[in-house]
Amino acid sequence: MCIRVIGASNRRYAHIGDVIVAVIKEAVPNTPLERSEVITAIIVSTRKELKRDNGMIIRYDDNAAVVIDQEGNPKGTRIFGAIARELRQLNFTKIVSLAPEVL
Amino acid sequence: MAVCSTTTLSIGGSVFSGQLRHWEPNESKLFQKPRSRFRWFCLNDLYLLRFRTKTLNFNPSGSLLPSLYAYGKEADDAFLSKVNEDTDEMFDDLMKKYGEVVFRKNDRKSPSAELDDDAESLSFAVEMAKVASDVKAADIRVLFVKPLVYWTRFFIIATAFSRPQIDAIGSRIRDLAEKKYGKIPSGDAKPNSWTLLDFGDVVVHIFLPQQRAFYNLEEFYGNATLIELPSETQPPFHT
Repeated sequence: MCIRVIGASNRRYAHIGDVIVAVIKEAVPNTPLERSEVITAIIVSTRKELKRDNGMIIRYDDNAAVVIDQEGNPKGTRIFGAIARELRQLNFTKIVSLAPEVL
Repeated sequence: MAVCSTTTLSIGGSVFSGQLRHWEPNESKLFQKPRSRFRWFCLNDLYLLRFRTKTLNFNPSGSLLPSLYAYGKEADDAFLSKVNEDTDEMFDDLMKKYGEVVFRKNDRKSPSAELDDDAESLSFAVEMAKVASDVKAADIRVLFVKPLVYWTRFFIIATAFSRPQIDAIGSRIRDLAEKKYGKIPSGDAKPNSWTLLDFGDVVVHIFLPQQRAFYNLEEFYGNATLIELPSETQPPFHT
């Protein structure tokens, strides 16, 4: 669950490419992350559509984020699903290089 | 009377096959409206709900059309059901109507120009790799990833053994790129256990040994061709 959107004070919503502070509400057992742990993550897919200047609209079926550590490196080793190329312009090329497909 | 089934309807000469759902009893009013509008109802189940209101004056060319569907207003026999079912026929109709090529990007280069760009990026990448080896980085690999990803051409992966060394490699690569090629990288400014320098066509990854084993990028890009680097023991490389 998102606690805070990093980057501006009192921002209401986060979109693709925003870094958020979140707390884990539900965790799969036997993973390094546990319930009620506070983490930083970057949002990589949203159900709200992402609009591009050329008119392309990207809308995912689910909201998802990639957990990162304080240095900005992803905590996991692989990423599932397609990633929008806006992340590369926002300096998250590490996530893009781990993505199986870039849209 | 709710009709919840897949049926084939023929109304006003247009044939639909699709799912009709949740029609209220007073829906019969809809059938009294002009038939030409009916074809739009089965577009998307969501929009069916909208048309229960008394005002049925909607703009067929307006924002109700989902951005995915491609069809023309004058398509008389456009039967648009769920995407999975009649997509092939829809595409065939489109091809017949508009021809084989519907859209072509203008920025495609000719193959020879592409090869020249590749050669340029390759020389850049090899220079960067040489700089890295001057600073005593270990296990330098240059991967040609263009057939796998479209957003870059080459990856350089190197291991450094301490953060000051990562800093040194990073700053040397940055300086050389700026002086000789005029390219400024985006990416990590501060040294990081995984430092990334993004030069557009070439992406440089500098890892600490544990991170390299942890992320294992070579395995992820196992299908990429490895470029041989010139060193004293090896003969000059060929692209």
